[in-house]
Amino acid sequence: MTTLSLRALVVLLIAGSLVGCDLFSIDDEANPNGPALEDVLNNPSRDNILAVAAGVEASSRVDIDLYLVNVGVIGREYWRTSSADPRFTGDLLGKASSILDANTFYTTRPWNARYRTIRNANILLQLADLNASADGERLTEAEADYVRGFAKTWQAYQYLLNLNLTFENGLRFISPGEDAAGPVLSYGESLGQIAALLNEADGDLDGGDAFFGITDIAFANRALAARVAAYQGNFTEVLSILDSAFDVDGIGGAGLTEGAFHVFSTGSGDITNPFFLAPSSDVSDAILAHPSYAADITETDGRLDKVQLRTNGDGEPATATFDGLSTQFGFFVYKSNVDGIPIARNAELVLLRAEARAQTGDLAGAIADLNTIRTAVGLGDYTGEASQGAVIDEMLRQRRYELYGEGHRWVDVRRYDRLGTLPIDREGDDVWDRFPIPATENVGS
Amino acid sequence: MIHRYGWGTVTALLVALLAPATFAPAALAQDTPLTVSGQVTDAETGETLPGANVRIVGTQIGTTTDVNGRYELQLTPAASLLEVTFVGYRTREVSIPEASGTITLDIRLQEDVLGIDEVVVSGLASSVKRSNLASSVETISARELAEISTPQTLDGAISGKITGGVITSNTGAPGGGIAVKLRGITTINGESQPLFIVDGVILNNDAISNGVNAVTAAAAGGNASSQDNPANRIADLNPEDVESIEILKGPSAAAIYGARASNGVVIIQTKRGNAGGGVQFSVRQSLGFTTIANKVGTRRFTEETAVDTYGPDDPEPGATPEEIAQIEAGQQAIRDLFNQTGGAFTDYEEEFYGNEGLLSTTSLSASGGNDRTQFFVSGLIKDDEGIIENTGYEKQSVRVNLTHRFSSKFSADVTANYIRSTARRGLTGNDNSGTTFGVSLTSTPSFLDVLPNGDGTYPDHPLNASNPFQTRDLSTIEETNNRVLSSARVTYNIFQQNTQGLQAIVEGGVDYFSLDQDARFPRELQFYDDERDSGGLVGQSIQGRTNNLNANVRGALVHTLSLPEPDLFFTTQVGFTAFTQDQDVVTSAAAGLIPDQFNVDQAASLQTNQTRLTQDDRAFFVQEEINYADRLVGTLGFRAERSSLNGDVDQLYFYPKASLAVNVAEFPFWTTQTIDQLKLRLAFGQTGNTAPFGSKFTIFNPTSIGGGVGLTISGQRGFADVEPERASEIEGGFDVSGFDGRASLEFTVYRKVIDDLLLTREVEPSSGFTLETFNGGQLTNTGIEIGLSLIPVNTSTVRWVTRTSFWTNNAEVTELTVPPFRALGGGFGATFGQIQIEEGKSPTQIVGIDDRDGDGAADDGTFVLGDTDPDFQMSFLNDITLFRNLRLTIFAHWKKGGDNINLSELLTDLNGTSPDLDEPGGAARAAAFGVSAQQFVQDASYLKIREIGLYYTVPQEAIGGMLPYVRNLSVGVSANNPIIITPYKSYDPEVNNFGTQPVATGVEVTPFPTSRSFLFHLNFGL
Repeated sequence: MTTLSLRALVVLLIAGSLVGCDLFSIDDEANPNGPALEDVLNNPSRDNILAVAAGVEASSRVDIDLYLVNVGVIGREYWRTSSADPRFTGDLLGKASSILDANTFYTTRPWNARYRTIRNANILLQLADLNASADGERLTEAEADYVRGFAKTWQAYQYLLNLNLTFENGLRFISPGEDAAGPVLSYGESLGQIAALLNEADGDLDGGDAFFGITDIAFANRALAARVAAYQGNFTEVLSILDSAFDVDGIGGAGLTEGAFHVFSTGSGDITNPFFLAPSSDVSDAILAHPSYAADITETDGRLDKVQLRTNGDGEPATATFDGLSTQFGFFVYKSNVDGIPIARNAELVLLRAEARAQTGDLAGAIADLNTIRTAVGLGDYTGEASQGAVIDEMLRQRRYELYGEGHRWVDVRRYDRLGTLPIDREGDDVWDRFPIPATENVGS
Repeated sequence: MIHRYGWGTVTALLVALLAPATFAPAALAQDTPLTVSGQVTDAETGETLPGANVRIVGTQIGTTTDVNGRYELQLTPAASLLEVTFVGYRTREVSIPEASGTITLDIRLQEDVLGIDEVVVSGLASSVKRSNLASSVETISARELAEISTPQTLDGAISGKITGGVITSNTGAPGGGIAVKLRGITTINGESQPLFIVDGVILNNDAISNGVNAVTAAAAGGNASSQDNPANRIADLNPEDVESIEILKGPSAAAIYGARASNGVVIIQTKRGNAGGGVQFSVRQSLGFTTIANKVGTRRFTEETAVDTYGPDDPEPGATPEEIAQIEAGQQAIRDLFNQTGGAFTDYEEEFYGNEGLLSTTSLSASGGNDRTQFFVSGLIKDDEGIIENTGYEKQSVRVNLTHRFSSKFSADVTANYIRSTARRGLTGNDNSGTTFGVSLTSTPSFLDVLPNGDGTYPDHPLNASNPFQTRDLSTIEETNNRVLSSARVTYNIFQQNTQGLQAIVEGGVDYFSLDQDARFPRELQFYDDERDSGGLVGQSIQGRTNNLNANVRGALVHTLSLPEPDLFFTTQVGFTAFTQDQDVVTSAAAGLIPDQFNVDQAASLQTNQTRLTQDDRAFFVQEEINYADRLVGTLGFRAERSSLNGDVDQLYFYPKASLAVNVAEFPFWTTQTIDQLKLRLAFGQTGNTAPFGSKFTIFNPTSIGGGVGLTISGQRGFADVEPERASEIEGGFDVSGFDGRASLEFTVYRKVIDDLLLTREVEPSSGFTLETFNGGQLTNTGIEIGLSLIPVNTSTVRWVTRTSFWTNNAEVTELTVPPFRALGGGFGATFGQIQIEEGKSPTQIVGIDDRDGDGAADDGTFVLGDTDPDFQMSFLNDITLFRNLRLTIFAHWKKGGDNINLSELLTDLNGTSPDLDEPGGAARAAAFGVSAQQFVQDASYLKIREIGLYYTVPQEAIGGMLPYVRNLSVGVSANNPIIITPYKSYDPEVNNFGTQPVATGVEVTPFPTSRSFLFHLNFGL
């Protein structure tokens, strides 16, 4: 009996220790909730490249509504009213003593989202380089070039949107594989960097094989290059880009609305247009057209359909009032929640050429371009004074109406030093010329 | 017998190794074996006490009393003292008279009203008498927990009852939701809640969001949101099943629980059957109602103030005629609205929160058994309504606990519990869409008429996106949890001799639940008007499914050794534990519903999120306790643990502990009988806190565009080398009791330092990331806890028991390697006040903008405006029994200091409905928004009578004749939260919009108001 017990004990101890060893180890498992960055970099396959590229396009839409709110509200194109967040009609309009906050959502969220897309594009650039030595299916050289051009164009666009907000507070740039961005560059330096990035991308796209992508990235690249050149005041460059890349003379009528867009859908995992709110929305959560839009418009201008008269239950016009602001019109640029938001479109090309022509002294050419825009919306040809000043005024007016709700007016009046012409809705309101760099950047702007 | 000798050989070897010096020759053999026997009874009532432990001091020889309270023991030669212990009674030592043959020794025990001699858990496999404990361990008895009143959930039942704890309910919504912080702030981004262990099962206490953020847009971008008002799952437990709760408040007591114990450990024991006296049935019924505890009030309007508030401003000089006409039309519209009701005053607070909800709880339990098998069976049906119509909480629970002793060596203990709970918590809290009840009501002035029409239709709310009455009546926001908790514990006495024993304990359990979260917003709702007009997506259905499995197992060997000379008692335990968790959360948010359909496939758009979480922990532990004659009790031990959540899954982290208790009153020189216990104690321990799941990964999030899938890098940069936080605590103090067990004082000071803090810092967003996790920084908490228990009056007609506790904690961020940042869920920015983590400051400080120079501009910078942490807290439990039959219990809780960020008032200010807006103070406050956040930071001190109960036990004589089967009968009335005194200007100073957060509490955005309840009780035993 004794030996039996002892034997049983020994067996138990051995079994226990074996099981114990097994029980005591832990597997180092992968995260079940998404692919890890290092796993993707270790597997620079074609599929992963396509997925990260789609991620660039998709993430570029995140918080694009906040960007449009920022530039449009300060540019007095519309108001964003919200009973839940008073800062849209407070800080953004400079109500009383309110100022723009460097550490709140309207400053940080659009900024962060743009840099996230830039990071994604940087990963895409890394993958494009790594793919050459990948084990699995590789890209052709032309495909890899296209991936690079695609990534850089998106990056340039994202940088430009942030620079539009911070203006002379400047911008930081980050290269693929780097942990942190470089120092803050001035507005002029930043525009130069963006222009260079676009040109580099243009070279890549030229030889590249456009084998994926939803947005017309080649179109976006050159249109943005022309826009940046205009921002730089380099109007001969604007003309040269437009001449070499586009048939601007062939644009007219319905073609004006074509271009490169952020696209939306109600599909699973996709997002709908975040800047769409019905024009009749309750003021507690609405985008209201600034009354000056309808007040200043020429009677026959078809672009009055970009706003919609708000009515009461009896169908009579109703004034919407919020936080001391009143208007009768709702914002109606985007007609549904799947309408695309333009990155750049043909109408802007025509207007950019008009601007460049006017600036370089080709007033007749400028007027011709402006007439292209005017006729398309039911206005007759331009009959005003043909001086450079008057044509530029008309060009800015056409930009205001044609590109309404697409994020341009504030930038335009700013670069023409006309912020003072924007209407003040309430006593004590301010017109800001720039956003602070977010406090989280720790650069003390 | 051979068997026994076999073991004896092994034991002798062991003992020879462990303590060779004590291996003295055995005492002289006795001719006739001595036997002692007798009966153990209650000293006061004379009732017999079955199940009491009787042991010969200095040996391991002992027994338990049978159903008649009788015992019989064979005496060892040296035996001179018997020790008798029984739960709820003072321990007694009785000397054995010098005699031969059979000795009769009846023993009477005094009730231990103050809990001086109770037994508490000290290691993972052993327990220790409170009087020998070297750290402060809190015990909450069944009586304090669930028998003063009827708590709705377990979490609500412990509020204010833990000395050293800051327990804050996040909302008044039915179904619970609390944040427990024991001994201050222990983490900034890690898990902040204590480890809950129920009968050895590590309980899941997650708060799982129901995804209504898709409607409220409280946190933009994604469905998961901490602003969805989730309840912690600890709320599922049936409080009436609980026998006792022990709280190990810090690492010095909890070190042996290792890497998940930094926030303390809450050990819950459920009830067990009694060994004697046949089957006892107990029926408890409570019925009552609930009502809003405190109203804020609402503004009264005149036509003028209505137009002023809601109409456009008067035209400025130089306005065009069109502009003037437009403004006048706008003002006329408001005037019309006002006159529609004739300016009638509707108290919407009353209309909306004024529901008097019925509360009903029925519970039945049966317990019984014999000296081998005991059982406890219970059932509970609870159906509570809330103070908002269509809200409420229901629970059904069934439990079976079985204990069986197969032989003198082998026993097993099995528990099984099934719970189904349903909570309808409404739609409250922050939003960005004008849809939640609270936000909607802030923009509902008293002159409007938005009450239901009575025919099932609702007027459109002219000043808000939704009519809250319509949302309340037509929407469904419900969550149902089906949960099974089960545990088993097997104890095997490998051998048992006079002086030593070796016991193997294997214990394990599972906690599985399947949570269904169902939120339906039908097409008719007003807030879809815009979508309806524009052909957008009308109607939403958000369906969440969570499956969670927690399983853990523990094996331990416990060796005990008594050495009579000197009187030493060694308890050695070694063991192994394993824990695994597997959680899968799938949330589908559908929009654009087919009329009257709510399945997520009956919709135009569907967003689905799935989040999985796995965790594996393995640990072993060793603990040695040495007890010298109950005079000196020292403990040394450590636990070594690894976890799949750590960067290096193979790395073992060691958590040591050491403690010493000195029972001065046990030394021979102590002669005074007045003070029968004076204990000095000192304890040190370390625990960990593993990183949140996924901290070590930088991942891509899935996305979709144009019908294709994509990958977007997550905004959170992972930290591949993440380590657990480490908390080190040293505590010291003394316990004194005396005056015949009528007074007891416990005093503790502690200092707890947490290193390698898991910090999530905002990184420069130009990197493409916004957050990253890292280990760094240090937090220090120091505090004092004092508990005084007294029985000032103890006569046959009146007995008054009172317990007063005082506690305070001081926390400081002693090291922070990053710039100051906003705590997780710590508010909405400096404009509104935020809780900011900053080196050298309290981690709970509130920082915000303030107009210090009085120029009306927000350019003075940010300042410390307050602190959410209280200065101190006190609790008062008074229990008065008259004529043995009438018992009054009052539990009061005072929190002094601690601020909240009250943004409900901001919303009523902005929407013109604050009651005092027509007074200068109110108007000035409203105008200060944007230049100062000081007005939001409000003193959240309170004095609450949390529970009050008055019970009458019908005397046995009175019921004996009428109801022969009734063993006992009592009736009572009770109230929860009957009195709340606070300077805070909202429903309840206990609130948090962001739910349970590591640091932040007290951020208020239109919460579900706190209720008070009044109950009638009928309890009887059969």
